Amino acid sequence: MEAALRAGAADDAIAVLRDSTPFGDASDALLARIAALARPARYDAGERIYSADDLADDLFVVVSGRVEHVFKPEVHAREAQKRVTRGGVFGWAGLLLGQTRRLATVSATEPTEVLRIETEALVKLLESEPLEGPRVMERFATMIQRDFAVPQSLLAQVRRLSGPLTEEMSSLSLTMYRVSLWLRSPRPYLMLIGFALFLGFWYLAVEVWKLPRFREMPGITAVVKEWFAKSPTYGLSLYTEEYYKHIIVSIWRVTQAFFLATILGVTFGLLLGWSRTFKEYVFPVFEMLRPIPILAWVPLAIVMFIATESAVVYLAFLASFFATALNTMLGVESIDESYIRAADCLGANQWQQFRHVILPGALPFIFTGLQISIGVSWFSLVAAEMVSGQYGLGYVINTSYVMVRYPTIVIGMVTLGMVGYATSALVRLAGDYLMEWRVRELALAER
Amino acid sequence: MRRPPAAATRGHIRIEDVVKIYDPAGAAVLAVDHCTLEIEPGEICMIVGPSGCGKTTLLNAIAGFHEITSGRIVMDGEVLCSTEQPQSTPGPDRIVVFQNGALFPWKSNLENVIFGPVMQGKLARKEAVDKGRAMMSDAGLSGVEHNYPGEVSSGMRRRVEIVRALMNDPKVLLLDEPYRALDSLTKSVMHEALLEIYYKNKVTIFFITHDLEEAIFLGHRVAIMTTRPCKPKKVLNVDIPHPRDYGVLTSKRFRELIEETNDAVHEEALKAFQAGEKEG
Amino acid sequence: MSGIGKLLSNRAFWRGVGSIVIFLVLWELGSRSKQWMAPEFFAPFKDLLGTMGFKKDYLPWIGAVPPPSGVLKSWVAVLGQQGYWQSWYMSFFRVMGGFIAAMLIGIPFGLALAVNRVAHGVGFPVFEVLRPIPPLAWVPASIIFWPTQESAIIFITFLGAFYTIVINVLGGARSIDVRYFQAAQSMGSSRWDIFRRVVLPGTLPSIVVGSAVGMGITWEVVVAAEMISGGGSQQAGTGGGLGFFIWNSYVGGSYEQIVVGMISIGIAGFVSSELLRWGGRFVTPWMKVR
Repeated sequence: MEAALRAGAADDAIAVLRDSTPFGDASDALLARIAALARPARYDAGERIYSADDLADDLFVVVSGRVEHVFKPEVHAREAQKRVTRGGVFGWAGLLLGQTRRLATVSATEPTEVLRIETEALVKLLESEPLEGPRVMERFATMIQRDFAVPQSLLAQVRRLSGPLTEEMSSLSLTMYRVSLWLRSPRPYLMLIGFALFLGFWYLAVEVWKLPRFREMPGITAVVKEWFAKSPTYGLSLYTEEYYKHIIVSIWRVTQAFFLATILGVTFGLLLGWSRTFKEYVFPVFEMLRPIPILAWVPLAIVMFIATESAVVYLAFLASFFATALNTMLGVESIDESYIRAADCLGANQWQQFRHVILPGALPFIFTGLQISIGVSWFSLVAAEMVSGQYGLGYVINTSYVMVRYPTIVIGMVTLGMVGYATSALVRLAGDYLMEWRVRELALAER
Repeated sequence: MRRPPAAATRGHIRIEDVVKIYDPAGAAVLAVDHCTLEIEPGEICMIVGPSGCGKTTLLNAIAGFHEITSGRIVMDGEVLCSTEQPQSTPGPDRIVVFQNGALFPWKSNLENVIFGPVMQGKLARKEAVDKGRAMMSDAGLSGVEHNYPGEVSSGMRRRVEIVRALMNDPKVLLLDEPYRALDSLTKSVMHEALLEIYYKNKVTIFFITHDLEEAIFLGHRVAIMTTRPCKPKKVLNVDIPHPRDYGVLTSKRFRELIEETNDAVHEEALKAFQAGEKEG
Repeated sequence: MSGIGKLLSNRAFWRGVGSIVIFLVLWELGSRSKQWMAPEFFAPFKDLLGTMGFKKDYLPWIGAVPPPSGVLKSWVAVLGQQGYWQSWYMSFFRVMGGFIAAMLIGIPFGLALAVNRVAHGVGFPVFEVLRPIPPLAWVPASIIFWPTQESAIIFITFLGAFYTIVINVLGGARSIDVRYFQAAQSMGSSRWDIFRRVVLPGTLPSIVVGSAVGMGITWEVVVAAEMISGGGSQQAGTGGGLGFFIWNSYVGGSYEQIVVGMISIGIAGFVSSELLRWGGRFVTPWMKVR
């Protein structure tokens, strides 16, 4: 009988936990373990549950009834007073780093039932769950921020669970959480409206209203039909091998150019930023060559390089190189002097300075430069392909025009856009991976 | 006045008749004007003055970031810089804690803390990590070892930076208005935290501030500087005994000391205001 | 010390000059490699070049480039030709046209996206999707669409600058310190007032920077568009412009002139960017105070 009663109570506990924000999407197994830690308690109307500056030992989940939660003024909460009802969680001060005392005074305003969970025991439990634990903590942070309107500095103190998997999981679960947040906002729907307007206009302008300028343009239906056709009229579609050949050729060229430009450009830029002497000697020549538009080099490149392949890659390389070197140099120059001085104080030699301060410090700028550089690389590549060379997306666009295969032009353009976007996203992801500290910093400073 | 116990023998600084002129061939701005000051080993010496008066220049000269034009700075018998050799080399015996914080944002707190000993080769990495953890724990910072500085509060960041400095067993800690950007509540907690750390690691502290109360609360001696050019106007011996806690702030003696010095500070502040000093 | 005096006594200045001179000397030597590599002495070296896949008679890459002395001679000759100056005019015309259009459309567009959430939600994704498509990829579409070649080229130029300007406006608006807004609101400003007196001036520095960068891109695009429409495709159009000048020189085999054209465009681009920066200082006088 006791066991059955307890089992029933356990189910209730799990149900309430499910209703709460932090535990809302935890697995049943985890909830069962948490419920096992929980002790029910009951308060009468008007009864004080705890006062600010009391020891913060348990956290509370409201099962029924209502409590009033008043922050002490030192917390600088945006709303000092808050009502908490079923599913609400309070008494979480113990989850904050270095916080052992209550931040608020809480009283029941009507007869209330709660579950009390010892904070330390909960933290230990979550630490033993490498997959779900961090996610629950993230949800605590979200709840604290959203429901309790506390200032950023308090929020930053929510404990991070230590453990080998935590680091990776945090950024993954953070991303997943932000995606779910995004889906709940109006943004995806506005986006769809935007696309619908754009594509709709294209369709109507060309095919229905046949507006004067648009008459000759390839219509969206023609493009889509061609792109998805198994045997396309003009020879290029998602199903033809040649399509992918062009894509791969262009990507391969950009890759070569980009890597070469990155290695040379970053080295060059680091030297320019690091050594004033080097800069005084070399920068004037660099600045003289930089304003010459890359595409103005096309004929000269054709003359210089015997094979058009190298000429095309050279042009893409050149564009990338200038952008990368410049941004790297700016990155080094923008490093706050205090960091270098601090490293000096701490006894680092020149090489250590470079490896531990200059390089990581300049990295954000370098990556911005790399994103610009890959864009510029594509830009030059396409132009170069249009003028000379065979194969490649630029070549496709140009020849399709010449051979009056208009839908293929659009296919080429769209493919270019997608591929260009994908490569630049790759660069950005690489940057995020290497500079996790910045991702976290920006996430906390969410605007 | 009670000096700290004789256990502290290192970090004796003598600033002798130091003059600093910026841009001598051009604008010739006199920043430090024949400044002489002596700092006892193990002492907390507070430097108070209006913004832009040149106190940071003095700190930078001791640390080795700037040259002096003439005069001498000697530490523990060794000449740091002089008229002949106007700039000293920065080193781990005099470590600076910067105004806006200079924890490397791309390293975790623990990595920051162990940076000094590891770079100098003084400790193997594992030992450094153990020592780092212990010192962080002492300073009430356990739990944030693996966070990045950007993820913790600014008060915590300051403490981590102080621990980073102390890991190198320096003779002197040079603090350049470290708590300037913190709110007064955090500041008062930081003051107690600093004193706690000080009591555990006797080290000379050279602390620049514009906050007179902070200066009298923390310091053994308070040097009130004139507005630019900088020179000690009045040196106060704070005879409130250590160890101190925040109760001191409301004690009679504290209030008396403030009364003694308030006029001097205010006079300089007014002069600086009229001269339109920009933030230093 | 006078301005010139200061410059002449600056060590950095002489180092810069020195390296430019060295650069020119190396260039001269490299491009004349055909001549000084002729003697028998170099035969094994030439064979080595051959095995590596390069042409045997001169240094790889630099050997095929015309020497600076030749370029200078050619330039002096061309300065007297009307066609050269007309190319300048045409390119400038196109750059200005596209650029001004980009500002006129881009700045309001960017501001609209920055202040209105709905507009941002609708417009920005489409903008971001179209942005990776390089402006030059639009050339054929543009030629089909626009009645004249001129307008087609200006459209491409417009695209080039448009993206940069919008991104910079958005970035600038977003980075306006929120306290300016709060200050304005607490002083009782209406939304329109806030827009006019906080958002607009606050974004101005970014617009200026964006314009300077956009100007550089515009030149890139103009050159390419001129080359492609004048040279790459079989247009019997007038062409014209410095890009066409370069292409023509290549086709006509006068390599020196290619370099003349390149340097000319470099100068043109640099001058226009500087003009913009200089003009920008009038629009944002507060930025001078440091």
